[in-house]
Amino acid sequence: MKRRYKKILILTAVNLFFVSLCIIILIPILYALSVSLNEENSLLSTDFSFIPRHFTFMNYKAVFVEEPILVWFKNSSILAVITLFVSLGAGIPAAYIFSRKRFPGRKLILQLLVLLYAFPSLLSMIALYKLLSPMGLINTKLGLIIVYTGTMAVFALWNMKGYFDTIPREIEEAAMIDGTSSVQLVLRVVLPLAKPTIVVTAMMVLIFVWNEYIFAINFMMGSDTYTLAAGLYSLQATEMSGSWPVFSAAAIVVSIPILVIFFALQRYMTAGLTTGGVKG
Amino acid sequence: MKKNSISEKRKRRTVWVSYLWSMPSLLLILLIVIFPIFYTGYISFTNMNVYHWTDYTFHGLENYKDALLVLDNGFVAALLLTILWTAVNMVLQLIIAYVLASLLNIRDLKLRNLYKTLLIFPWAMPGYVSILLWKTGMFNSQFGLLNQWLVRFGFEPVRWLAGDVIAFACCTVVNLWLALPFMITIIDGALHSIDQSFYESARLEGAGWFKSTYYITVPMIKSIITPAIVITAFTTFKQFDVIYLLTQQVGAKTGADIHTILTYAYEKAFITNNYGYSSAISIIIFILLIGFSMLINQRSNKTGGEG
Repeated sequence: MKRRYKKILILTAVNLFFVSLCIIILIPILYALSVSLNEENSLLSTDFSFIPRHFTFMNYKAVFVEEPILVWFKNSSILAVITLFVSLGAGIPAAYIFSRKRFPGRKLILQLLVLLYAFPSLLSMIALYKLLSPMGLINTKLGLIIVYTGTMAVFALWNMKGYFDTIPREIEEAAMIDGTSSVQLVLRVVLPLAKPTIVVTAMMVLIFVWNEYIFAINFMMGSDTYTLAAGLYSLQATEMSGSWPVFSAAAIVVSIPILVIFFALQRYMTAGLTTGGVKG
Repeated sequence: MKKNSISEKRKRRTVWVSYLWSMPSLLLILLIVIFPIFYTGYISFTNMNVYHWTDYTFHGLENYKDALLVLDNGFVAALLLTILWTAVNMVLQLIIAYVLASLLNIRDLKLRNLYKTLLIFPWAMPGYVSILLWKTGMFNSQFGLLNQWLVRFGFEPVRWLAGDVIAFACCTVVNLWLALPFMITIIDGALHSIDQSFYESARLEGAGWFKSTYYITVPMIKSIITPAIVITAFTTFKQFDVIYLLTQQVGAKTGADIHTILTYAYEKAFITNNYGYSSAISIIIFILLIGFSMLINQRSNKTGGEG
């Protein structure tokens, strides 16, 4: 009997601990949500509560009306989709080849990839600026796409190669014996097997482009050309003191697509990440 | 003899086909990633800055000497701080993530999945958005939540991001908030892979929690989580967003003067516009990374990893 009580006590304590931990962890987000929905911007008042007293969508309306957020949204989407197609289109065949074939130079290239993966593209920003500038690609979408595609090409190749390594060759060999041609083999056997890693890699590319602000604010001038991340950055940098509620509304709006994608694909996440990229 | 030449031909065909199919990817990487790094190396030997954008001249190893030998320039300090930052963050992350993951795996914890979903929420949020929310929502000295609470309980408000030590602590908190979900997920996954019968026989032999942790759990999950730890160590080492966004945005410096090598390189490039010097910093970091990855390769080869 005593033992059972002890167990219940421990379980209650652990549950209490996790409930409070979850609340503490979510406070910054809940606070922003509450500020964005509160009509009175009495930020300095001391009787602040998490549930807005006077509920309003004013701040959200302001985000869409007063700020060019839809333009930013369009810019981010264009950049994300093109970067996604180029880096995956180039990356999938390369990842497959690097996983399956053995050829001179393979090992060296793989080691180089790890190194490039570790090297932040931020550090070659000046060189990129200096190279893109005479081609007239600064302040254009193409310029940013080029920068993002390069970074993501390294990631895509490395991450998907790691996953291909975990798919047993026997499946392909069996299909080959059945007389499948190599193009058919890739389309019918390899791609379906690789779906989890393609989905995760695509998601990571999307999230990367969605969240990248430092190249965007340095390479793009003028708020019409900004991406969502750069726009949000400029919002908080320029008008913060006046419109923290508007900023928090914008922050929530920007986060929602990413949250949806993340939780929709969460079950792929662990498998696609842990068995993939991180493995030698 | 004939057979040999056929296999030789086949081999050559494999090489040719392999490179053909990887060509788009490799070309992208070569042109957009590798070439700019070489170009950075080239710039690092010049005095390129905002006044000498096109008419720069070469001045040899001057930038490297400035970075490594003139301590007042701050690069060495930034490097030491980066090492401290990485060490503090990694140790805290591993301990906290391990404790939380273990607690999540307590038997009969019914709400486990709900807790997991809520705990990984910070991972799902766009990183820079979270950091900016922390900056204004929590740390802002006037309307940040922390100071609101302090004032309500009769304390003096604190300027969270103004001093070096306190700003470092705040950055660490935010970084942990951002990074723990990944680590918890990894360790949780690793804990699931351990066969429960090990624990049962350990219990039969009279081993307590510490003993079974030390002799069973840690050795069993070590090889599974090592790659994730290495990746996280790299990410922490090159962390830029947390420190930059919290303390040193253009026009919104908070007074703290903490620099990691990345924020340092960025400041030299885009705030003080000393492109040659900043490029030299980039190349030094690149060489450091080469050193690291060689070290890691060696170790993983030794332990029988695939490499």
